[in-house]
Amino acid sequence: MTTDTMETADAGSTAPVPSSTKKPRRARAPKFLLALPAWTWFILFFALPVGLVLLYSLGEQVSSFVQKPDISPDVWSLDNFPKAFDPAFAPIFWRTLRISITGTFICLIISVPFSYWLATKVSPRWRGVLLGLVLVPFWTNFLVRTIGWQLILAPNGFVSQKLQDVGITSGDLGLLYTQAGVQIGVVYNYLPLMILPLYVAFERIDSAMTEASKDLGANRLKTFVQVTMPLAMPGAIAGMLLVFIPLMGDYITASLLGGAKGTMAGVLVADQFLNTFNWSRGAAMAVIMIGFILAALAVFAIVGLLLRAIVRARRRVSLPEAAA
Amino acid sequence: MSQQTAARRHRVDWTKWSLTVWGVLMFVFLFLPIVWIVIFSFNTGRVLTDWSGFGFDGYRSFFENSAPRAAVQTSLIVAALSAVVATVLGSLAGVALARRPGKWTTGFLFLVALVLVTPEIVDAIALLPWYVLLGQDANILAFNNGYVRLIVSHSVFSTAVVTLIVRARLAGIDESLEEAAGDLYATPTKRFTQITLPLMLPAVLAGGLLAFTLSLDNTVISAFVFVQGSTPWPVYVLASVKTALRPEIASISTMMFVLTVIAIGLVGVVLRRGGDSSSDIAATMTGTG
Repeated sequence: MTTDTMETADAGSTAPVPSSTKKPRRARAPKFLLALPAWTWFILFFALPVGLVLLYSLGEQVSSFVQKPDISPDVWSLDNFPKAFDPAFAPIFWRTLRISITGTFICLIISVPFSYWLATKVSPRWRGVLLGLVLVPFWTNFLVRTIGWQLILAPNGFVSQKLQDVGITSGDLGLLYTQAGVQIGVVYNYLPLMILPLYVAFERIDSAMTEASKDLGANRLKTFVQVTMPLAMPGAIAGMLLVFIPLMGDYITASLLGGAKGTMAGVLVADQFLNTFNWSRGAAMAVIMIGFILAALAVFAIVGLLLRAIVRARRRVSLPEAAA
Repeated sequence: MSQQTAARRHRVDWTKWSLTVWGVLMFVFLFLPIVWIVIFSFNTGRVLTDWSGFGFDGYRSFFENSAPRAAVQTSLIVAALSAVVATVLGSLAGVALARRPGKWTTGFLFLVALVLVTPEIVDAIALLPWYVLLGQDANILAFNNGYVRLIVSHSVFSTAVVTLIVRARLAGIDESLEEAAGDLYATPTKRFTQITLPLMLPAVLAGGLLAFTLSLDNTVISAFVFVQGSTPWPVYVLASVKTALRPEIASISTMMFVLTVIAIGLVGVVLRRGGDSSSDIAATMTGTG
């Protein structure tokens, strides 16, 4: 708005001047001005509140009746962290990590053939329709999808009944309110976030690449492993990040399907703010959760880079004759 | 020779066939809980999990009770207003990123990325004390209002989404059209309303609809920041689920599901008419572009 009026004034006074001399004038208006409102919004309602959580984690609970901790600098300490990671809570963080890593890899393994099929084997006319169908569950309310699973996994639900009718299980299925139930739920809930980036990656691969591989004598499997998959790697990595990060912070799936046996870190953190009202411990738990995410990403990145280096070293093609 | 090609063709069919079977199985998996909810929304029993008969009792109880209706109404108002906020802020930021890049771009994009990747539960636990601080300690009374809290909270994430969509759209369009308008003495305001805005309109509309849907579906942040009297529908459902699963929950879910599908369908149409391929649309809609 301010840029507009300033530039209008500029344009009025310098109208006959050729555009080459107009350009440096325009540059004088602050370039980021149009982004300023959004920036302010992000600072006010994202950066500052999250910063406050960090402060709370250093603070001290005044009494069990007061939610707001004392955060004056003289009481700052790291005491909340051992309390937030004590033997009662630590296993839940490790379980969260286990469920998230398992969930990410299950998503990857079942999505690769699916996305590959959608991107390369389905006729273009159907591809758009099927892609639209994948978007439907993605945009269906997370809570609704999870309630759907609650119905399916319920002890007296359909799956349990059918399995008993057929005679596979005698009692109820017993999946609801267990880790297995949460695992199914999270794989389902985050699956589209793996399918779509993989699809985009497979779709963008130039078919000349795979044809060249075949012309050079590689069979289909070898072409897929050595040409297609490496080219789709950015999509796979994007998908793994998109699944892993929100999964580590999952609240809804775990609180609806987990019960006591399948709680995850997100539920733990939420509980401190909504029920126990110990904000500084909750804040410390949130910081630990983020720490787990960052540590896992770092390990993932290091392992990935090492694997790539090994694969490259083993596959190095040397052409001494050609050079000579 | 001919035998060899026949054998190869046979093997090709087999690979494709097994991939197709896998694809169908995945679609069954993807739609299983949704179909389940829709079917059970017609359950006449008192408990959602026990199927007793087909009927519209769940829908009737929705329309006869004021609490769920008020919740849906709250959600629609909040979704519309937060979509407006996000569309305005995000579009301006998107224009700035695409047309006025500079040293500030990196820092700003980092902030946008941070907003997008931070787990929702962290935003939720951060915003609750923040609103208490603003509303009660700093005495900015607006932040004690449930609507204001919900609209502001929802608009943060969607502003980031709209920013990226608008930026991507403008980055794909040559600036020469706008420069030509400038050379032909169009004022910057005219240049913006007559050239830039029509060009970016598909992205703005798509971004606005996505913002609407994101707000309509938001559960985690809403559950923390809402105030009694302005309960959005996912929070109402979440509270009901924890006490008792009634068929009415499936009925609300089904209706909101239909609304979401319509909104998302519109996004697809808008982007398609704006010239995107289906792959671009999918990338836009998942923020993976």
